[in-house]
Amino acid sequence: MTLSQREQERYKRQIISFGEEGQERLKKAHIFIAGAGGLGSPVSLYLAVAGVGTITIVDMDVVDQTNLNRQILHFDRDIGRKKTASAEEKLQEINQDITVNAIDVKIDETNAADLVGGADGIVDAMDNYPTRYLLNDVAIVKEIPLFHGGIRGFYGQATTIIPGTTPCLKCIFPKAPPVEVFPVVGVTPGLIGMLQATEVLKYLLGIGELLTGRLFIWDGMQAKADEIRVERNPECEVCGGMIPQKTLKGMKK
Amino acid sequence: MRGLRWHDTTENAKGDEEVTAKIRFFARFRELLGTDIMTDVAPGMMFTSLITTIVQKNPEGYAAIFDENDAFHEFVILMKNGKRVEIGDAAKTPVMDGDEIAVFPPVAGG
Repeated sequence: MTLSQREQERYKRQIISFGEEGQERLKKAHIFIAGAGGLGSPVSLYLAVAGVGTITIVDMDVVDQTNLNRQILHFDRDIGRKKTASAEEKLQEINQDITVNAIDVKIDETNAADLVGGADGIVDAMDNYPTRYLLNDVAIVKEIPLFHGGIRGFYGQATTIIPGTTPCLKCIFPKAPPVEVFPVVGVTPGLIGMLQATEVLKYLLGIGELLTGRLFIWDGMQAKADEIRVERNPECEVCGGMIPQKTLKGMKK
Repeated sequence: MRGLRWHDTTENAKGDEEVTAKIRFFARFRELLGTDIMTDVAPGMMFTSLITTIVQKNPEGYAAIFDENDAFHEFVILMKNGKRVEIGDAAKTPVMDGDEIAVFPPVAGG
């Protein structure tokens, strides 16, 4: 998939970093982003400007005034609009050379696999564990990575899940925490979202070391990052006994 | 940092048998309880009793980690030196000298 002249100009400064071949890889990639909220906003914006060729973004909500302290895809004028309509408009405006599929639906067990379709990876930008577990199931079945992120107040966490290789979300977090109206300061999903987007790019480009087998934990109040080694649970109900069957095409040089 | 002393008044409190562990709380637990708590531990003390002792002076912190039956909430993650300790095993897992113990909840927001 060759780059147009406009694309060569647009991406010039990052092509210095990973070459035209890398940029072409991004162009032919398809990333699924579950959620157009606090994490989904920065993740989708930066993957769009990086030139990820196809972005599917799914959300069921309407923009509310209380979203605007963190969900930077949405503006005052969008209050009352579907988040997907707002997201599609902004992403398409920030980069007309990519394809954006914005789907207004609640992700559930009946539609999750179809929604993800042939995407190369899933970004977890959800705000609840039941849906995260569904995304985890789909990632395991399709053998595509799940880029996990979660935030609360000034705290955040992230890890990259490669099915059959790393622990899955259920290995790390077997039980969901109770549902709550959690505090959020926009900078935290901004920071964790950038970590997720960086992981997506590295994965698609086949460069660097992924955040695999490690749970990154950010404490913004102390300005401290921690890492906890995480291991597969051999008894895991989702990925126990799984052996990777496919070569991870994204990671092939 | 001042360590919590265990069984100071009993005959078992011999200095040469004491072990030291570090407890690290994360996210909500850290807000309520602080972190990087160095503590002296009586030999043979188990995970659950150590964490209970550290936490019980703080009712809100206690309620965040333990349920009304004094068992860990099922979502609590326990790690010992980077390896998971299953909640069901915590009451029979002894704390060893130099252990770094991490206690955290999954962070759910997005």
